[in-house]
Amino acid sequence: MATNANQNHNADDPVLQWVTFRLDGETYGINVMQVQEVLRYSEIAPVPGAPAYVLGIINLRGNVVTVIDTRHRFALPAAEVTDNTRIVIIETDNHVIGIMVDSVAEVVYLRQSEIETAPNVGNEESAKFIQGVCHKNDELLILIELNKLLTNEEWAELDEI
Amino acid sequence: MTHRSDELLQDYLDDLLGSEAPPVQVAPRSPAPEEHREAGVRDANAEKQRQLQKLLNSAKLQVAQVAPQSPPEPEIKEPVPVPSELEPAVVVPEDLTQPEQAEAVAQVLDEQLQWHVNGRPHWAQDEFEVLLFKVSGLTLAVPLITLGQIQPLTDELTPLFGQADWFMGLQPTPSGKVRTVNTAKFVMPERYDPEFVKTAQYVISINGVPWGLAVDKVEQPIRLNPEDVKWRSERGQRPWLAGTVKAHMCALLDIPQMGHLLTKADKNAG
Repeated sequence: MATNANQNHNADDPVLQWVTFRLDGETYGINVMQVQEVLRYSEIAPVPGAPAYVLGIINLRGNVVTVIDTRHRFALPAAEVTDNTRIVIIETDNHVIGIMVDSVAEVVYLRQSEIETAPNVGNEESAKFIQGVCHKNDELLILIELNKLLTNEEWAELDEI
Repeated sequence: MTHRSDELLQDYLDDLLGSEAPPVQVAPRSPAPEEHREAGVRDANAEKQRQLQKLLNSAKLQVAQVAPQSPPEPEIKEPVPVPSELEPAVVVPEDLTQPEQAEAVAQVLDEQLQWHVNGRPHWAQDEFEVLLFKVSGLTLAVPLITLGQIQPLTDELTPLFGQADWFMGLQPTPSGKVRTVNTAKFVMPERYDPEFVKTAQYVISINGVPWGLAVDKVEQPIRLNPEDVKWRSERGQRPWLAGTVKAHMCALLDIPQMGHLLTKADKNAG
């Protein structure tokens, strides 16, 4: 594959693959290495007493997976579930969780050097979830740092669900 | 504008300065007859209008380059050269993310941050040109020498979650991504009209930093004598405010200071 050739060609500037998804009209990217699979929306069982950013749990081939309300986590307005709604199963910090998104778009290839630092102004904690931005295919991709999506305390909280 | 609204605006500008309004210091260096001065001002305004049109024309052409899906222009014009006296205002490093270039302009920016003992900023020691623009009905003035480019705001403006409420988003431009400030919210949060996000048409980038100000309408550049400005003496509360210009009923922004504040506010800034 041409991309693999490029990746080998320039070790200082590796090409990374990102799964892109849509949320509130914007396009976001997550590192493909952290994505296990993408599921169509299915019934999510709410968990009493769970934090507000937790939608509930799903049964994934016998395993219980917690689903995060990504819009809530990013302080975006809530939206209805549609036919395009997906649950992206990701693995981060040795945990497997699902994140609900408006839709999943594609896989894009980005050079490390193409990724720019995003500003971080204000006092919102959620700003730290943004790893960087990149202009690709005439749109701006907002790249998410999944490892910062939850704090250690929040992971511990999820483990108790 | 009516006399009453002029008074209200003056009150607001005085409020901005945070002090009672002493007589505005208007001290022309060479006392010329009033009518002669007015004729000169008219001629100068016509020339400024022509220069501004050229600036806006070049902004339109740049939009065509970044938005190929927009309806094709009947004819592609060559970029309009900017008048030589305005050149410092529109020269921007091609890529502000390059550390060498950022370092090169840092020294100039540091100079422009300085205020002299005469109570004026470095860039206002002699006559200087300012660009007037409208933000939610308020006229603001910014020194031309501190400006980068004027770019139209487009649908490509991308908001980022988790940012301060005055951050509108990233506007891709041929010169890079301009971090666009909601100027109305930044400058006058107490009078903020949410309609501004719909009415804002341009982003004026600040020279040397990747930040820009969203504005409703760009007006003509004018030349100011330092004595035309009521310079702000206490700059603790609104350090981005340089002073007010009664003749044009506008607030003069200290853009270098504003750029400095914006850069300082960014926790990801290196």
